[in-house]
Amino acid sequence: MNAVSQGWILGKRAIREALRTPDSLAPTLFIPLFFLVVNVGQAGKIFPSETTAFLGGQGYAAFQLPSSILLGASFGSAALYLVEEIEGGYFDKLRSAPISRTALVTGRLLSEAVKSLVLTTVMVLIALPFGVRISSGILGFLVLLLLTSTWAVVYAGFMQLIALKSRSAAATQSGGLIFFPLLFLTPGFVPRDMLTRPMEIAASLNPVTYIMEAMRSLIIDAQVSTVLIGFAVTGGLLVVSVALNVRAVRNYD
Amino acid sequence: MSSPAISATGLIKTYPAKGGDVEAVRGVDLEVQQGEVFGFLGPNGAGKSTCVRMLTTLLTITAGTAHVAGIDVAKDPDGVRRKIGVALQEAGLDARQSGRELLILQCELFGLSAKQAKSRALELLELVDLVEAADRRIKGYSGGMKRRLDLASALVHEPEVLFLDEPTTGLDPASRLTVWDEVKRINERGTTVFLTTQYLEEADQLCNRLAIIDGGRIVLEGTPEVLKAGLRQRKALDHDPTLDEVFLDATGRTRTRVAGEVEQVQA
Repeated sequence: MNAVSQGWILGKRAIREALRTPDSLAPTLFIPLFFLVVNVGQAGKIFPSETTAFLGGQGYAAFQLPSSILLGASFGSAALYLVEEIEGGYFDKLRSAPISRTALVTGRLLSEAVKSLVLTTVMVLIALPFGVRISSGILGFLVLLLLTSTWAVVYAGFMQLIALKSRSAAATQSGGLIFFPLLFLTPGFVPRDMLTRPMEIAASLNPVTYIMEAMRSLIIDAQVSTVLIGFAVTGGLLVVSVALNVRAVRNYD
Repeated sequence: MSSPAISATGLIKTYPAKGGDVEAVRGVDLEVQQGEVFGFLGPNGAGKSTCVRMLTTLLTITAGTAHVAGIDVAKDPDGVRRKIGVALQEAGLDARQSGRELLILQCELFGLSAKQAKSRALELLELVDLVEAADRRIKGYSGGMKRRLDLASALVHEPEVLFLDEPTTGLDPASRLTVWDEVKRINERGTTVFLTTQYLEEADQLCNRLAIIDGGRIVLEGTPEVLKAGLRQRKALDHDPTLDEVFLDATGRTRTRVAGEVEQVQA
């Protein structure tokens, strides 16, 4: 029995868990959609599609959608379930079984990826009637799903790290806020070259920027190089996030 | 002669803390033979759970060595994990699953196929008398049911050694008796049981041999009968002492002192 099959068994359990707590899923869809509506409502008029080059002929909602997708993939609820399990003692039960330490942490991350696939699909479907088009087509849409779910795993992984280190629900919940500014230190309303200089520097140093730009490119102008950079950044973060998780669970005492 | 089910030599656990390290366990030597029900007793904070957590691979060992089912705990934790079943304090279970789902999951994690897992789960549900509640979420189980399910989940792979950390704490007397019956049945099938408890009667009922730990050290070890006889002889008592008296004597606590502490609290 290897880490992959054990991770899959634990992943299926985590998906079942998520389905049984629909209350916790609802906000992850509602809040990002709320921001999409509010942001488009606030700035949509400033950027009419006919005269705004960076919209590629689409409405402002197409430009805003990646921000909402990213937000939806950045709740890291896997970590909250994990900390609940640590506090309740079930985590120790799993630790005392001959389960791969990698599977112990990747099982929940897998469910986070699946949740993100579903959530992103729903968000894109909701955006379609409002004129948003995925210019890169079906393949681009699938790439968007892959990118988003990888980011969801990265984010949940960092949250899980706080859970494993702090073993406290309160600390995990508030610890997650540390990462939150990263979502906003991005070219969320205009492209990076239109930001003020200090903001442009901050956004350029923020890895989330490149993921957002890759998503945006898949929706608006299908630039392969931008998408590849997004994947490279997400992939790098994925390796770091999972490696730190595995180390944390191996040294868990 | 077969090797002992559990052996520990000079087991030490220290935790880093403000103002220097705290020694929770200060050099414990233990030997539990195969097929025994071994009781591990001690007041709160004596180091019982810390010892169990080291023996079950959940905590690293600061110094000393431990072997469970003949395997070195520090060198081959996964090897030990394959041989042991663990039910810890406060039955840690996943409340969102049903009893059956939890057992099937545990079976699958131990490498059983989906079909094998299903039939093994049913066997275990029958063993702990939870067939009727099997498909209900664990959230709605009573304390006794949770403990029995926890016990069942520790048995999926027919472990050689079963560790039970305070298996009946917080249970009503009827549920406690049921758990005792389960433990006896499991032991009769040949599983060695290592049990910590705060209930002296539990140790008296279940254990072939016991050790009392206090302040991170073992202060007394033997069969309940020998320990009682020893106290009677040493104190020249005119009655057979209970295990409570043995425990109080071994841990330096007296009935008068305990009563005095209670009075102070009440005042």
